[in-house]
Amino acid sequence: MSGDGKHPAPASNSPATDQEDQQASPGGRTQTEEETVTLQVYRYDPDVEAKRTGSFETFEIPVHEGMTVLDALIEARDEHDSSLTFRHSCRQGVCGSDAFFVNGKQRLGCKTQISELSKPIRIEPLPHQPVIKDLVVEMEGFYERMQAVEPYFDPDDPPPGELEERKQTRENREDVKLSTRCIWCGACTSSCTIASDEDVYLGPAAINKGYRFYADDREGDERGKERLELLTEHDGVFRCQTQFSCTLVCPQDIPLTEHIQTLKRDATKRDLKFW
Amino acid sequence: MARPRSRFESGSVAWFLQRVTAVVLLFVLAFHFLWLHFVNHAADVTLWGSALRMDQLVYFIGMVVFLVTAVYHALNGIYNALLNWGLSGRARQVSFWVFAVVGVVAIVQGIRIAFAMAGVVTQ
Amino acid sequence: MCGMGASFDRGLIEDFGRWRTFSAGMWAWVLHKVTGWVLAGYLFAHLAVLSTAIPASSNPEAIAANADLYTRTIQGLEGILLVRVLEIGLLAAAVFHMVNGIRLLLVDLGIGLERQAEGFYVSIVVTVLVTLVSVPVFLPPEVVPF
Repeated sequence: MSGDGKHPAPASNSPATDQEDQQASPGGRTQTEEETVTLQVYRYDPDVEAKRTGSFETFEIPVHEGMTVLDALIEARDEHDSSLTFRHSCRQGVCGSDAFFVNGKQRLGCKTQISELSKPIRIEPLPHQPVIKDLVVEMEGFYERMQAVEPYFDPDDPPPGELEERKQTRENREDVKLSTRCIWCGACTSSCTIASDEDVYLGPAAINKGYRFYADDREGDERGKERLELLTEHDGVFRCQTQFSCTLVCPQDIPLTEHIQTLKRDATKRDLKFW
Repeated sequence: MARPRSRFESGSVAWFLQRVTAVVLLFVLAFHFLWLHFVNHAADVTLWGSALRMDQLVYFIGMVVFLVTAVYHALNGIYNALLNWGLSGRARQVSFWVFAVVGVVAIVQGIRIAFAMAGVVTQ
Repeated sequence: MCGMGASFDRGLIEDFGRWRTFSAGMWAWVLHKVTGWVLAGYLFAHLAVLSTAIPASSNPEAIAANADLYTRTIQGLEGILLVRVLEIGLLAAAVFHMVNGIRLLLVDLGIGLERQAEGFYVSIVVTVLVTLVSVPVFLPPEVVPF
């Protein structure tokens, strides 16, 4: 079954000559066969009578080589139902807008290949966050947690000379390198059962963001102490139960659990020191 | 101006003690299972038999260590499970003290049992 | 646990309803919690049973005849097949909690985080092996001929 018989929309990145080839032999198959994939997408709209309770809608989308989940969703919206709503922007894995719950796992839509998923493909909004509409979730709680760790460079002292740059050793850069990669997509925090939306646990993203600056030598010891205190308060790092879900789903491969564990150890050393 | 912060506020000490008791328990619990199910059999337990074991100082001390570490580890574990279920504010504070009292009572009772057993031998 | 506009049954159901998508780390966490509750519950039940030693210790004749309250209580319980079977379950819970506990200690020390999933599988395997080996020891001779 090949959708509604409409001419498939051209893949946005392919020049015209490639387009013909793709239609003729998608994925190297016979000329007449058009492969489609079945998407089951969560729909919810509080403003529409029929959509006030969540349900799944099925779309049949023609597949081309290299197609991502985001491509498929855009196709579904552009060709089948323009009310389908989801966040997306850069489509190249750097803006963090299009995190969805795909086949039971948090993934970035633009970084997930259709070909690597089992079919039919089930696309839902991120768990543990209130749904605003379709695949769009409330992200304010997430942003609040991120802001709570003071996620900006904030050194104790001004740089050494008047116009001198602030130097960082290669080793220190290596230490913080992975933690700088966060794109605020929210996948990790959504995957953590401790950080479900009603809870006040900072969550892996915020803790990692705090770690990024805590571990940066250029900020200085005093600031480091303050940051550690902030990150290890009541609902800070010690609420982490090392489920590892965050590390598993991070699209930037940040070793989140490892960073949280480092903070736990540092806080413990700090608190036991006077005995 | 800054309110006095206790070193226990972050939960790091409780976290650390949970791990320390865990290591201790790995050894004592393994010993306990082996001694009382494989070497001696649970079906053959008698007060006299227990008394003979408890009368040995090293065993007695070992059992008290077992008792204290197990009670701490279990109650701290449950307390943390409740925190993750959303226990907070006043309920959290009250629960903390309830658990503390339960812990003390359990330890006291355990020590009473140990003495009662050891006392059988010297009767 | 539902926020504004939410229409899923979000919350506890959502967590455990998604068990099919659990990763190793998630399973380890759930099982560690479940076995933890079991062991904690047992600890207090065990202290209660052992408390019979206190009244029992005041009756030397009964003790000599192995007919004191403590001995009768424990041997009575051990005589019930269900209790024997539950003890095997208790052993399984304890072994898993201990072996996974070792995995967690290593994680806390920052050792082998890349292999944490494998660590969970090892916990399961060890638990099954130790439990199987213990079955003949735990079950009474009438049930286990050898």
